[in-house]
Amino acid sequence: MSEPLAEAVALAVELGGRRILDGVSLLAEPGQVVAVVGPNGAGKTTLLRALAGLTGSTGGLRVAGRDPRTASALTNAGRRAYAAQKPACAWDFLVRDLGDIAGSPDAFAATLARLGLADLADRRLSALSGGEQKAAHLAMTFATLADPFGSVLLLDEPAASLDLTRRALVATEIRRFTQAGGAAVVATHDLGYARSADSVVVLAEGRLLAAGAPAAALTPDVLAATWGEAAPTGA
Amino acid sequence: MTPTRATLAGLVGLVALVAMALAVGAQGLGWGDGGARALLRAPRVLAALAAGLALGVGGAAQQGVFRNPLADPGLTGVFGGALFGIALLLGVAPEAAWQRAWLLPAAAFGGALGTSAVLVLCGRGGSSARLLLTGLGLNAFTAAGTLVIAARSGESRELLTNGAFGDWLGMATFELAWLPILLCVGATLLLLPSARALDLLAFGEDAAHAGGIDVGGARRDAVLLTALAAAAATCLVGQVAFIGLLAPHLARKIFGPRHASALPGSALLGGILLLGADTLGRGLWPQAPLSAAAVTAVLGAPLFIWIARGRHE
Repeated sequence: MSEPLAEAVALAVELGGRRILDGVSLLAEPGQVVAVVGPNGAGKTTLLRALAGLTGSTGGLRVAGRDPRTASALTNAGRRAYAAQKPACAWDFLVRDLGDIAGSPDAFAATLARLGLADLADRRLSALSGGEQKAAHLAMTFATLADPFGSVLLLDEPAASLDLTRRALVATEIRRFTQAGGAAVVATHDLGYARSADSVVVLAEGRLLAAGAPAAALTPDVLAATWGEAAPTGA
Repeated sequence: MTPTRATLAGLVGLVALVAMALAVGAQGLGWGDGGARALLRAPRVLAALAAGLALGVGGAAQQGVFRNPLADPGLTGVFGGALFGIALLLGVAPEAAWQRAWLLPAAAFGGALGTSAVLVLCGRGGSSARLLLTGLGLNAFTAAGTLVIAARSGESRELLTNGAFGDWLGMATFELAWLPILLCVGATLLLLPSARALDLLAFGEDAAHAGGIDVGGARRDAVLLTALAAAAATCLVGQVAFIGLLAPHLARKIFGPRHASALPGSALLGGILLLGADTLGRGLWPQAPLSAAAVTAVLGAPLFIWIARGRHE
């Protein structure tokens, strides 16, 4: 068995005296997409930020062969990329500037083309729709990693504000990344997407409710316990 | 116009402006016999140019750190802090202030650092409103403090009042100005390498950190160097508003928003704007020159209102 690329053991995060995350474990091996699901406020974003080393945490943590809490920002960035749920940019860059800032204009242009946005490269960010901006930021996140092999991609709701076609393109891009030897941890509200992942982590109120293969983790009981009466069937 | 052509045009314009600035003034038009009049005006011209560089790049850096196009060291109270620092020194030890070249810049730096610290603690991560309201409070406090000291100390009263009106360029001699000029140029050059960190910071602190930037360190460096730029420029000119706002705004339009071009572009335009304003003030009224700060405010305030109008929050 290969060494896991991302591993959290009994991870806990406390912010302002409140436990946001408590005893959450997660395993992502090379080639795997791990979906993190749960209702709003379940701790999905906090889990991803902890994996990225952006927030302090207790418990065991290894991402791309190192503990992100003790490694420098520069070291972490070499083998781990993170995309926040809501992309924001203070300045009105050209789309292709994002590739230069990510440090790999060619990889960025290629990803942009695969996401169907090649003709947007010379536009300003402010001239894009919300979905196009999100996709451009995702392309930038992909481009920050020189080589998918041995790298970890942490995406917080990459499908949010994307139309169905572009969602499928982003899903393909994530697969492309993992097939090249990387691992992806993806927070999502899309249970259909979660079912296509290699493994699923279900969070509720900061705790691990279920984990494992999609069929084993997303049982009717877990769905009912997590989402209650309004439980999605997630066909 | 491409950024390269704009840079060339800016540099040619700057050289022409320097030549013109050396030729106008109370002693009459022209550079004088053997450049005698030009030599007399050189300290003032160099001081205006250096202060303009520092004000322009300082504005761009502060805007980059706070991710906010309205974060201008004039509006956020950093210049106010620098002048207050000078006022404190002149109020406490008026004789000592002139004995050592580094004392006035050091006092200005201390004041600018103090207001910067309050700004970082209170204004960061919040809305534009919080940043600008904090700046408003700092400006009011430091202006009042400077006024109180000016009123209590007879000998420094006129000096401090002139400083508050940005009317110090006329006093520039090589003896007084060499250190602040060097500090302005030094702070400008030292801020240029922060371009990459500021580019990534545009996407938020999480994104910058995830992108490999030591966010705390990058912010600390930029805040320290902006305070140094503001302090050194204040020593040369006194308080001058709007350059730190206008130069970066124009630079982003002309050279593009990437900091690798916006930072040097802001410095270049800052130098042109401040030296241009001073030259205009001296050229129009050679016997009683209008201060550079007054000229930039007259031209800059309407533009500021126009920028503010275009923002939707």
